[in-house]
Amino acid sequence: MKRILFSLVMVAILLLTACGGKPAATGGKTQLSFMMWGDPAELTVWKQIVADYEAANPNITVSVEVSDWDSYWTKLKTLLAANTPPDMFAIDAPLYLDYQSKGVLLNLQPYIDKNPGMLDGLYPQTLQAYQTPQGYFGLPRDFQTIVLFYNKAMFDKAGMAYPTADWTWDDLRAAAKRLTIVGSDGKTTQYGFSFDMWDMEPGYSEAIWSYGGDIINADHTKTLLGEPAARQAWQLLYDMTFVDKSVPDSNTSGQYGGDTFLAGVTAMTPMGHWSVPGYADANLKFDVAPMPKGPAGRVTSVNSAGFVIAKGTKHPAEAFSFLQFVLSTAGQTRLAELGFACPVLKSIAESPTFLNQKIAINQQVFLDALQYAHMKPVFKGYDEWASAVGDGMAPVWRGEADLNKTLDEIVAAADDVLAKNK
Amino acid sequence: MEFGIKPLGRERLWLWILLLPTLFGLFFSAFGSLLATIALSFTHWDLLTVPEWAGLSNYVALFTDAKFLKSLANTAEFSAMYVPGVVIISLLVAILLNRKIRGIGIFRTAFYLPAVTSAVATALVWNMIYGKDTGILNYVLSLVHLPPVCWLCTDHAMVSVVVVNIWGAIGEGMIIFLAGLTAIPREYYEAATVDGANEMHKFFRITLPLITPSIFFQVLMSTINAFQAYDYIYMLTRQGQGDSNIPVVVFSIYRNAWNFGNYGGASAQAIELTVIVAVLMLVYFWLEKRFVVYE
Repeated sequence: MKRILFSLVMVAILLLTACGGKPAATGGKTQLSFMMWGDPAELTVWKQIVADYEAANPNITVSVEVSDWDSYWTKLKTLLAANTPPDMFAIDAPLYLDYQSKGVLLNLQPYIDKNPGMLDGLYPQTLQAYQTPQGYFGLPRDFQTIVLFYNKAMFDKAGMAYPTADWTWDDLRAAAKRLTIVGSDGKTTQYGFSFDMWDMEPGYSEAIWSYGGDIINADHTKTLLGEPAARQAWQLLYDMTFVDKSVPDSNTSGQYGGDTFLAGVTAMTPMGHWSVPGYADANLKFDVAPMPKGPAGRVTSVNSAGFVIAKGTKHPAEAFSFLQFVLSTAGQTRLAELGFACPVLKSIAESPTFLNQKIAINQQVFLDALQYAHMKPVFKGYDEWASAVGDGMAPVWRGEADLNKTLDEIVAAADDVLAKNK
Repeated sequence: MEFGIKPLGRERLWLWILLLPTLFGLFFSAFGSLLATIALSFTHWDLLTVPEWAGLSNYVALFTDAKFLKSLANTAEFSAMYVPGVVIISLLVAILLNRKIRGIGIFRTAFYLPAVTSAVATALVWNMIYGKDTGILNYVLSLVHLPPVCWLCTDHAMVSVVVVNIWGAIGEGMIIFLAGLTAIPREYYEAATVDGANEMHKFFRITLPLITPSIFFQVLMSTINAFQAYDYIYMLTRQGQGDSNIPVVVFSIYRNAWNFGNYGGASAQAIELTVIVAVLMLVYFWLEKRFVVYE
């Protein structure tokens, strides 16, 4: 009996190990894998980019896999833990250092050095996030600046002029009040303004910066969200939500699936280019304007999505050549046509490919924003820090907690995260 | 345990061959991951670098981490409402449906439907029911001139999600109880009728004692489900940055592991959850000896 069991187990083990080793090449071709987050429309475009790349490099095939944002990170971490990561994968700038510092990314500097001038055509603001003292471990593929989206139909109906570059946050507040409509039953049917109450990017960072405050100090040891200038900005957003009631609180926006601008109940919102296709699909009549000015001038946020190469890849040179291709005119043109982001290659961003897209909005505003944009902070422990701040503020935006007391608490909690991730 | 036919000779070989996939799966997926979880709970591990020995620090954190304690309290509160709710309501539904009337199959199917529907889809529908300004429930309230209630706001969210979870679990409970009810011999009721017992007597003296095995089983299962409840709760109470209005223990485990890179801490929380459920099971089995009637 025991012998039978033993031999069966041995057979099973043999079968498993035989299936484990996967061939690295098919028919003498080098096979590369690329993983990213995104929606089905993005997969179609990336398959096109891959087809273009394979046509130019007949000895290489690339397999692309796209998952939604949440499952992407779960999957990526599991593959990295199992030591079978994809050769190349997408990264978001704020999370970049969490991977770079763990030593799972390939240092791209030697390859960049071999191609002098390859980064010259890119917007320098988009490269900043990926620089480390040891060089680049990742490169941006596109960038997002935050601008003010407005619903033209709501402005027209109210007989109001569209937002201009001269607007201050006070102008925005006044306009938001006028655009808020309360029905005869006391229910608000239209709000003037909304912002992301959890993510700083289309949320609070612009207000804090333009009031002269900051998010975090330069060496990433101290959270500055509770400093006096930042508190002024928080107070403005809080008063717009709970005094003017021109901004839906989070309980209300939750009923509309989170984005009330998309749901057609909000007139203005700070947002990035990734929302443009969705807003167009929802048949909204909208356009974009620069973010308003604050006491410390006009400041907005820039963030770049990028890609990296796994340290353990067997084909670093080939993988790098794919990155190069995506940053080339051909690759960037395809990405510009996709319409989810702004190209990092200047020549394409400033060409009709990007400026005259099918969805006709003032694309130039996204590019001009780079001149007054601050980089979305990049530091170790970002995910947990952002949760400490976002979770901590949640009761405030539900209208259940005191703003200033909560700010004291979240700064302490966020600083604990920073201390842990030093 | 001497019943059935004993396998002989070549049959034994086939027995093992046929059992192998199940044993293999059990051994590696259940037993293996349990051992791995125990081992990981003594480490600091972020999935990307080599695990570091953490001693008992992850277990100490179970008593000091305010967020985890909050999730534990939420799970306890949830279970305290959910378990009796599921058992009582699904028993009542089973009794109502344990009769021969036209279209009984339709009713039984209707009650079982939530069990086979995607939790995400049903949660979205419940979201539409519960909405403060847009929801159907508040519309109904407005028809009878009652003020709107914010069903998913912090004050009411717990009760609201318990209702959805009970609604989702009635079907399975009903099946268990229907099986128990149909197994009660008809003669008992006939004899009781002859002796002049009314319906109340019959229920408390015959039905209830004889379905205690089903009740016991259902309490056991819904307790396990209550401690693992996650999908409806998260879908109905999630907040922007991945937070939840009512963080439960399973949510805390998931978030620590996948969002905060704290696999050691998450493992320790998972072990504590397992221990709590195991202790409850021991209590239940002790109670079973006293109260459950086997014919």
